[in-house]
Amino acid sequence: MTAPGRIADRSARPAAEPIIRMIGVDKAFGDHVVYRDMYLDVPKGQTTTIIGPSGGGKSVCMKMIIGLLRPDRGRILVDGADVTEMGEEELRALRRRVAYVFQGGALFDSMTVADNVAYGLREHTDLSEEEIDAKVRACLDMVGLSDDLLDEMPSSLSGGMKKRVALARSIAMEPDVILYDEPTTGLDPKNIAVIGDMILKLQSELGVTSLVVTHDMPMAFRVSDHIAMLSDHKFPFVGTPYEMATSEVDLVRDFVHGRIADAP
Amino acid sequence: MTDLLDRIGAVLVRGIVQMGEVSRLLWITVRRGPRRPVGFGEIKYQTVMLGVRSLPLATFMSLFIGMILAWQFGWALQDFGAKMALGYASSLALVRELVPTVLAVTVGAKMAAGIAAELGSMKVTEQIDAISALGADPVKKLVWPRLVAATLSLPLINAWSNVVALGGGAIIADTVFGVPAGYFYETYIDELVPMDYLSSEIKALVFGGLVGLIGCHHGFRTEIGTEAVGRSTTDTVVACSISVIVADFFLTMIFLPV
Ligand SMILES: Nc1ncnc2c1ncn2[C@@H]1O[C@H](COP(=O)(O)OP(=O)(O)O)[C@@H](O)[C@H]1O
Ligand SMILES: [Mg+2]
Repeated sequence: MTAPGRIADRSARPAAEPIIRMIGVDKAFGDHVVYRDMYLDVPKGQTTTIIGPSGGGKSVCMKMIIGLLRPDRGRILVDGADVTEMGEEELRALRRRVAYVFQGGALFDSMTVADNVAYGLREHTDLSEEEIDAKVRACLDMVGLSDDLLDEMPSSLSGGMKKRVALARSIAMEPDVILYDEPTTGLDPKNIAVIGDMILKLQSELGVTSLVVTHDMPMAFRVSDHIAMLSDHKFPFVGTPYEMATSEVDLVRDFVHGRIADAP
Repeated sequence: MTDLLDRIGAVLVRGIVQMGEVSRLLWITVRRGPRRPVGFGEIKYQTVMLGVRSLPLATFMSLFIGMILAWQFGWALQDFGAKMALGYASSLALVRELVPTVLAVTVGAKMAAGIAAELGSMKVTEQIDAISALGADPVKKLVWPRLVAATLSLPLINAWSNVVALGGGAIIADTVFGVPAGYFYETYIDELVPMDYLSSEIKALVFGGLVGLIGCHHGFRTEIGTEAVGRSTTDTVVACSISVIVADFFLTMIFLPV
């Protein structure tokens, strides 16, 4: 456990205006309720982490933000615009600004690593092939991968490498908001640190807003301005890492100390 | 009894719902597909994948269809002493009906199953969602090139298969029934009018579009889990066979009004 003292300075930052607001969201699959009357604000230019049990709906939350899933009820605002009411073109524009890094990577397995990373650039920009190549190399470097992988197919990569290529693919578009779905699960400590550094760097240098799902509490404490805890179909606890670490609420303490069961 | 009726009803409803979904997919695809960039590179690639790779199977199937049909008609005509009419008798059934239909339920179903398996595994591994998440359109990127490729390649394969089936018929006519291959060829061609070729090609075109769409539709609606990919693939073959036969019936009605 990280000592509360080490995290106190980050939590001193004042909360910014929310860039993402989820308001009264219900979401169910059949009779399987995932969210009920859920609220969550994600402050602009800061890093918010979601913690919660597996199968609790963390990925569903992120997919609703970029309109891959629609809530049954409620509003989801990104910069004031309601995602649930967006048409095809507006969603396209939204997804250029808000990147989602899939939990499993979701790399295109018919394309090389280079083509995967360049996908968004080819789709949205008129960059020349040289410019794209330079950009792809820079993004791989950001996630701690070497250029040797450029021509590899995703099937020949390890799970951790796939994850980092997926990260590179998302940051290539220079999004304003990045939704990281378990970016460090299955990575070794050195690469967890690399990803943590990257999140911090994107935030401090480019002012990127990050929403991170993680099971890794040290990572959560290291990168977060705010931590939101998912429980009982909503986010009953949102606070600074310091508030989380010093919380007297049993549920929060259980979670912070790794004593939480997976969702049924 | 009511149980049986219920089941039949459920199957019919499912069929109609699927027809609706496939029509919707067709509508979206033809609306968004031709937008620039049209994606000729991917269309060409898919045409090679779907079409050229189906040539061996198509050649094999049509050779045997030609031989079997010539044998059946030869055997029947022999009794009337009319075996020299073998070319006249075989051509219409082969060109207008058997070649395009058998191709569609074999080669076409193979294409559709391949598409469904490919897109299904992309769906399961969230690659289709990833296309959306990167701000691109999965229908444009995946369905459009496959639909165009299937719609183009089946008529091309059909044209080739018609030639092969004629050859198969000629082999049997000559070697088994003693009808000279050259004579078989002349009578075979003599019986056909341009409309017969055209209806053969139009059938192949419609069947090609159908199998392409059905394959994509089943791939896209694959549910979570790897066994779901297998289920999608089998469903695709069944859906293709049924819709090809039904479409064939209506096309035949149109081309041969009584
Ligand atoms: N597309 C879907 N269709 C049906 N059920 C889904 C779908 N996506 C997620 N679920 C269900 O919603 C629940 C939450 O899933 P998820 O958000 O992936 O959990 P996690 O918190 O582990 O990311 C799970 O029970 C999952 O089975
Ligand atoms: Mg998840």
